[in-house]
Amino acid sequence: MVIIGENIHVIAQAVSTAIRERDARVIQDLAKAQTEAGADYVDLNVGPMKKDTEETMQWLVNAVQEATDLPLSIDTLNPVAMEAGLKTCKRKPLLNSASGKSLSKEQMLPLAQKYSCDVVISVMTDKGMPPDVESKIESIMDTVAYANELGIPNENIWVDPILLPISTAGEGQRFTVINLEFIKILEDVLPEIKSTVGLSNTSNGVPDELRPPLNRTYMVMLERNRLHSAIADPLDKELISLTKGGMPEIVELIYRTMDGEDIALSSLSQKEIEYVKTAKVLMGETLYSDAWLES
Amino acid sequence: MEYKAPTEEYTGVVREVTIGKGRKSLKIGGENILPFHFFDKGSNPNPVKFALEVLDMEPQDWPEHLIQPFKNVIADPVKWAKKCEELGADAVFLRLVSTDPAVKDSSADEAAALAKRIAEAIDIPLIIYGSGDDKKDAEVLPKVAEACDGMNLLIGPVQKENYEVVGKALLDHGHNASALSPLDINLLKELNVKLCKFFPAEKIVIDPEAAALGYGMEYSFSLMERVKQIGIITKDNMTMMPLIADLGGECWKTKQAKEDKEQGLLWEGITALSFLLAGANIIVFRHPETSRLMKKITEVK
Repeated sequence: MVIIGENIHVIAQAVSTAIRERDARVIQDLAKAQTEAGADYVDLNVGPMKKDTEETMQWLVNAVQEATDLPLSIDTLNPVAMEAGLKTCKRKPLLNSASGKSLSKEQMLPLAQKYSCDVVISVMTDKGMPPDVESKIESIMDTVAYANELGIPNENIWVDPILLPISTAGEGQRFTVINLEFIKILEDVLPEIKSTVGLSNTSNGVPDELRPPLNRTYMVMLERNRLHSAIADPLDKELISLTKGGMPEIVELIYRTMDGEDIALSSLSQKEIEYVKTAKVLMGETLYSDAWLES
Repeated sequence: MEYKAPTEEYTGVVREVTIGKGRKSLKIGGENILPFHFFDKGSNPNPVKFALEVLDMEPQDWPEHLIQPFKNVIADPVKWAKKCEELGADAVFLRLVSTDPAVKDSSADEAAALAKRIAEAIDIPLIIYGSGDDKKDAEVLPKVAEACDGMNLLIGPVQKENYEVVGKALLDHGHNASALSPLDINLLKELNVKLCKFFPAEKIVIDPEAAALGYGMEYSFSLMERVKQIGIITKDNMTMMPLIADLGGECWKTKQAKEDKEQGLLWEGITALSFLLAGANIIVFRHPETSRLMKKITEVK
């Protein structure tokens, strides 16, 4: 699994202050920490960037490139900031992200072609979020066909199905199930295509201490269904260990749960039980509640 | 070739909850079929029950056509409760609305004394609800539970914010708990999981919030339907509890019900019928005419 480190994100107060005050140290420390932890890309989520757009983006990319050799994921909806970022990258960057919305097709996809970089394309269209597997496939096929015509090959495209929080009143579990299925069949309908997800979205709204088990388990489940990459927290050691082969028994246990095996919980450790229970809520087998580990 | 209609058989069974004791008792739940699916394998041993609501003070904002059936007794909650019994209610639902800090902020002791007097005066089971103010209920409901020690009443609403204090008092004094969550199946399950750590699952009734027609009824409907499906079809231990639809108050505070009697009866009746179909096990009415009509409908063979 290709891990795109999510920690340089304007929502974090320290990051937004550092960008505003041009304090490179804070940003560089985050980049270094993620690199050492095993990230494959560093995501730069800069938000809408209303002021000094180009200058700020160039400063940020250069600052990060001084601290790490990893390729960067330029994460903004602002096309001017995007181009400034892509231009400044030394290694082939990831454009994060485009979608099937008209504006994005007009402004973002041409940049991916111009800089022959990789590009994240979400299933979103002008009509909004497609509600089920079929319509997600349908809309991404349209957008990918459009990108192909611009000269962007499938192997440069990372499809994002858009993860939604599992805790969304009654509906969240439907999304986690749909996205597992979507990732599973994606490569069959679009050969050579890659994929990515904003992993932490799944656990948005869940009490902080309960978020890691959801993120970790879902990553393993999606990876089994051939997910190529995830925007995630590389500082979560257990998450990295799971994807880098450090915990094969847990991975095996999650797979068995996905296969519907009736696993006797009494023979398992506390940690193993938690992984089984978490896999069951993510695959929609048991009804989710914030107390899912306790029941 | 003979045609045989397909039938389903499920593994989940809704827990049967007994409210009250001896001849003053009733049972709800116990079904292993979806609502009114009498063609499937299984049964519902306890047809839906109908409770009438009594307030612990004279109502301030009830329209004349709602007060009318109780005209001579409405200032006295004990007489009012006895009137409900005469009118054929399966249970009395006492709402301690005066304890609400925003209403009269009357004391827990007063409320407890009244609850006990009513419980002793009537020969049908009693359900008691606090005002819904979670902090005040945490004072009031334990006192009520203590005053009615051993009577096995249904008491609520037990909420996320006060389930530890209220739940413990209900347990100590031998009552059932009505667990209320705000229209969300995930929150509802979470509350049951937490409550069940010290409180018996066989003594819990789920109150999913019953919104009135035109005021969010479809949310409550889908939620009740889902609670039943997840309980009966997928056998989720934490949703296999009977449901209470506390809808009278919601219906009679609508503009439509206040305006006109016939409209009000229809408002309450259509809301109740919808929740019957969704799987409610006990329904709380304000107007005895609606209650009587709904009972008649469910008894049609």
